[in-house]
Amino acid sequence: MGKSKQKGSHKKKNPGKIFKTKRRTKDLDQIHSDLKPETASKLLHQEVDYDVSGCAQHYCLHCARYFIDMKALKDHYKSKVHKKRLKQLREEPYTQAEAERAAGMGSYIPPKIVEVKTTPIEEDMD
Amino acid sequence: MRIEKCYFCSGPVYPGHGVMFVRNDCKTFRFCKSKCHKNFKRKRNPRKTRWTKAFRKATGKELTVDNSLEFEKRRNRPVKYSRKLWDKTVEAMKRVEEIKLKRQSRFIMNRLKKGKQLEKEEAISEVKKNIHLIKAPHAGKAKQMEEKMVQKLQEDVDMGDEDI
Repeated sequence: MGKSKQKGSHKKKNPGKIFKTKRRTKDLDQIHSDLKPETASKLLHQEVDYDVSGCAQHYCLHCARYFIDMKALKDHYKSKVHKKRLKQLREEPYTQAEAERAAGMGSYIPPKIVEVKTTPIEEDMD
Repeated sequence: MRIEKCYFCSGPVYPGHGVMFVRNDCKTFRFCKSKCHKNFKRKRNPRKTRWTKAFRKATGKELTVDNSLEFEKRRNRPVKYSRKLWDKTVEAMKRVEEIKLKRQSRFIMNRLKKGKQLEKEEAISEVKKNIHLIKAPHAGKAKQMEEKMVQKLQEDVDMGDEDI
């Protein structure tokens, strides 16, 4: 017998459910505003919240996700999902103003591409 | 009341049409049709979606920087009505539109010229590469050799004649 294609718990999720506004995850422009130093430090040093996984102590800014411990977070930094997200964040976020400029209201200014972000330095919490 | 622009495709959103989505941080997004709304929900990037205006502008398919594009703007300060100004504006709008269309079409024609030139170059290089398909490498060589031999023979005969 050959290996089955699906492994682990990463089942193909129902897109109708994922993309409901009820479960809406953070957009790229929200993450860009999160990356500003004041908000970033606030998000990285959250109070212990027992409702969130890992008591909100291990947070990835770029992916807006909580992890259970430092190891999981470090593994996540090495993962494809995270790297893909970093690549997406390398461009300026799309705005309504840009949509209007594209529609012919003023000259179109191409998005700034050079906005490279590296993963934040891992802190030794324990 | 104003005609808004769609967040996703930059198309016009007339009053009473489309959908407005208000995110939980109070930011509003307007969509002209359900197609745009769905694509937004799927977190697609308008810059990477081929059919949007943002894609066409970002990838240089259309005229992006021009003075004729500077007239249409979101003006938040209302102007006091005066008939003269209104008449003049309407007239100017027509003229601006005319110029804009002309420039945009010229830009696209110029853009397409490059492709034609490249096509031509490609065709020439292809013919040069595959010349053996059109003309066999030894085509006509045998005939040439024969002619040469005949000439030589004749010369020899002539020489022989002179000797005698």
